[in-house]
Amino acid sequence: MRRRIHPALVGFAALVFLFLLGPLVIILGASLSNTTYLAFPPEGLTLRWFENAFEISAFRRTMVTSFSLATLGTLLSLAIGIPAAYAMARYRWHLPRFLGNVFVLPVLVPEIVLGFALMKSVATGLDTPIYTTLLVGHALLVLPYCVRVVGASLAQFDFSVEEAAVSLGCPRWRAFFTVVLPNIRGGVIAAFVLAFITSLNDVSISIFLTGPGVSTLPIQLLAHMEQFFDPTIASVSVLLMFVTVVVMALVERTLGLTFLAR
Amino acid sequence: MTVSLTLDGVSASYGKTRVLEDLSLEVGAGELVSLLGASGCGKTTTLRLVAGFLAPDAGRIRLGDRDLTRLPAHARDIGLVFQTYALFPHLTVLDNVGFGLKQRGLGRAARRAKAGEMVERVGLSGFADRYPANLSGGQRQRVALARALVIDPPLLMFDEPLSNLDAKLRVDMRVEIRRLQRANGTTALYVTHDQEEAFSISDRVAIMDRGRIMQLDAPEVLYSRPANAFVADFVGFDTLLPMRAVAEAGDAVRVRMEGGATLDLPRSDWTVPAQDFLFAARADGLLVAREGAGIPARLGLRTYLGRAYQYRCETPAGELIANGPLSQPMEPGETAVLIPNPEQCCLLPAET
Amino acid sequence: MTDRRLAWALATPALLLVALFLGLPILSTFGTTFTTDEGVFATYEAFFTSRFRRAVLWRTMEVALITTAISVVIGFVTAWVVARAPRNVKSLLIVAAVFPLLTGVVVRSFAWLVILGRNGILNGFLEGIGVIEEPLSMLYTQGAVIVAMVYLFVPLMILTLVGVLDSIPEDLTDAAASLGATPVATFRQVVLPMAVPGLIVGAVLVFTGSFTSYATPQLLGGERQMMMGTFLHQRAMVTFDWVGASTIAAIMVVVTLSTVYAMSRLAQRLNPVAG
Repeated sequence: MRRRIHPALVGFAALVFLFLLGPLVIILGASLSNTTYLAFPPEGLTLRWFENAFEISAFRRTMVTSFSLATLGTLLSLAIGIPAAYAMARYRWHLPRFLGNVFVLPVLVPEIVLGFALMKSVATGLDTPIYTTLLVGHALLVLPYCVRVVGASLAQFDFSVEEAAVSLGCPRWRAFFTVVLPNIRGGVIAAFVLAFITSLNDVSISIFLTGPGVSTLPIQLLAHMEQFFDPTIASVSVLLMFVTVVVMALVERTLGLTFLAR
Repeated sequence: MTVSLTLDGVSASYGKTRVLEDLSLEVGAGELVSLLGASGCGKTTTLRLVAGFLAPDAGRIRLGDRDLTRLPAHARDIGLVFQTYALFPHLTVLDNVGFGLKQRGLGRAARRAKAGEMVERVGLSGFADRYPANLSGGQRQRVALARALVIDPPLLMFDEPLSNLDAKLRVDMRVEIRRLQRANGTTALYVTHDQEEAFSISDRVAIMDRGRIMQLDAPEVLYSRPANAFVADFVGFDTLLPMRAVAEAGDAVRVRMEGGATLDLPRSDWTVPAQDFLFAARADGLLVAREGAGIPARLGLRTYLGRAYQYRCETPAGELIANGPLSQPMEPGETAVLIPNPEQCCLLPAET
Repeated sequence: MTDRRLAWALATPALLLVALFLGLPILSTFGTTFTTDEGVFATYEAFFTSRFRRAVLWRTMEVALITTAISVVIGFVTAWVVARAPRNVKSLLIVAAVFPLLTGVVVRSFAWLVILGRNGILNGFLEGIGVIEEPLSMLYTQGAVIVAMVYLFVPLMILTLVGVLDSIPEDLTDAAASLGATPVATFRQVVLPMAVPGLIVGAVLVFTGSFTSYATPQLLGGERQMMMGTFLHQRAMVTFDWVGASTIAAIMVVVTLSTVYAMSRLAQRLNPVAG
């Protein structure tokens, strides 16, 4: 009994989704092909390219680097981003309004420019260790997500609940951890997930900050592609997509997928 | 030109759920009929079917001699006032009112003149260039009304148009709506869940339940002579007692109620519709007295209503609510009789 | 501690991170472009007098604009269908749009390398059905870069616009119909004007994203289709011309920030409701 959408539009949308998902299916197929070149549909099925991905030490090393970088960078960013978001939500009128814009600068400035500037001024200028510079760069990159998403959660929070806890004898700092934090859990999880994925997939900043001995998985993939063009790349790509699936499932379990729509 | 609206055997469903069952209704030319009922009774569905936002599974909808059933919504020429007002937020008051005229191919100048006139008519002269976001609830309501009226539709429909206004404004606006509808002589269908609103402005009211019309009558008839227990309950008969005629007692019929008490109803005042029937009364219709022919009761809590005292009364048939005169206050614990007033009580056929 | 001090204390670590590792490095990068021996604006003169560099800037603009235009059209139509779909289909489609968005740029660009390559899937398919005899060289063309960029940014556009279209109440389109507006008139006079602010936000995201992209032009455009991002990287890491690279960086920042500023002003002007 609902009104229908024009079938031509539905057909068009179907093609768009084919366009969006097709290439990812092709990568999945190519990663399983029992050929030394990238073939789709796969010719014979094998998992040896996945084995190969773990046998190549550069991939193994950069996987570890990328995951630790994404985890530590995100945690660092949350550790300083949550207090900032809290201060802006709770004490709006004590802080200048432009502060909110300062925290989103890292997404306004082109990533590639940020990467170059960090390389020039920090990595080379201060001669900091590669991993440290990467960590700072990634924490900075994801700070806007942390402040914004946690901030959106805090905007929904009724601070009189916190005041109630304090009036019942709970110290301020403890009220934050026992009353505020559990109520903005959804925002914190969402911020973590978005930040983690962004950091894990980052190219534009990392391309300037990686160096001898320390690289990230996407950068290693780029380097590998320039020399070899075999299904190993496809298998590593599938592993990265798998991480995305896990993350989405995590979000679905904790917040519901409708959260992603917002 | 005024025309009548006819719904003939209309059924509708959302997925597997039937929301309207074989509904027929005629709104006469120039008449205002309200659909009244709780949410989910099918009143809004009926309106959306007439508007063309939903398609019926069966039945026909006619406006005068035009068959609307298969016509797309934009070709039906019906003025509709939404509960949310549905004003276009990106258009000024004047452009909102002129929107329908634009669709009818009116030139800019003619459109502005006609819309401006209508804006004035609903009392918004100074607000023509404002955007809806900068209007109060009552002003938005007027714009919505003007927008529906300006296209001079043969049928006006209102979907709970006043439910977002405060009580005072609600009364003013419903008078305004009735005045404008009368002045234009437009046929109108009005949907509401507010009984007072429906009764005050309608020529006739259809009380709906679970996709069916339970009774369609003038408000006065509905109020005093409900046709069935549902309508009686809906219009405020809070006492509904099953009774059975058991014997003749001279000029009266002796009836027995649950709990065994009996009551003699004189034939001159009462018409018993069947052997088993329902006795329906409001608190006003049961007089608390020290003695007389009535239902025996023991008085409970007394509350003061201004025009009378109201008592909770223990009777053999359960707790009943009845009123007593201010001149004779009685105390909780006293025994009394509840005397039914034939003018304010109804005897309804028992439900099967 | 007063509330004011507490507020500043809580905000300070994040402020320091941005000031020290974004503010200072960016300012120093800009600074080096004005402090060469040849004069204050010498590096910019050099950039705009070089035919090659101008071509890179122009190409980047062109690719970004075409990508934006295509993404807007594709995204709008798709978002319209998604927004109007039944609830369960809708959440499925949203997941289908979010998934590519959360998949990395390298992975998604690589997919097009596999599809468009000389021995790639598209060539194989076209040869298979006999349309062509020799494989076409599709890689390292502007078309390849644009296709991959559209692929990159369409999900973003869809998700932005679904949010916008969802926020247009159904009552409004119903009201338009009841006043005699045909579906086409309703779209043009009600839906489109109300979606414009969202369209602008989406367009800005796509434009700045494609204007500053690196991985996609690197993989699918190569040396031949040098864009600002790849050019910056090449200057900085291959020829070690840091002043030249800083100049490119400054131009990129100016273009993106002025686009963001101009478009948000435009969005405000086209959105009388907010005012």
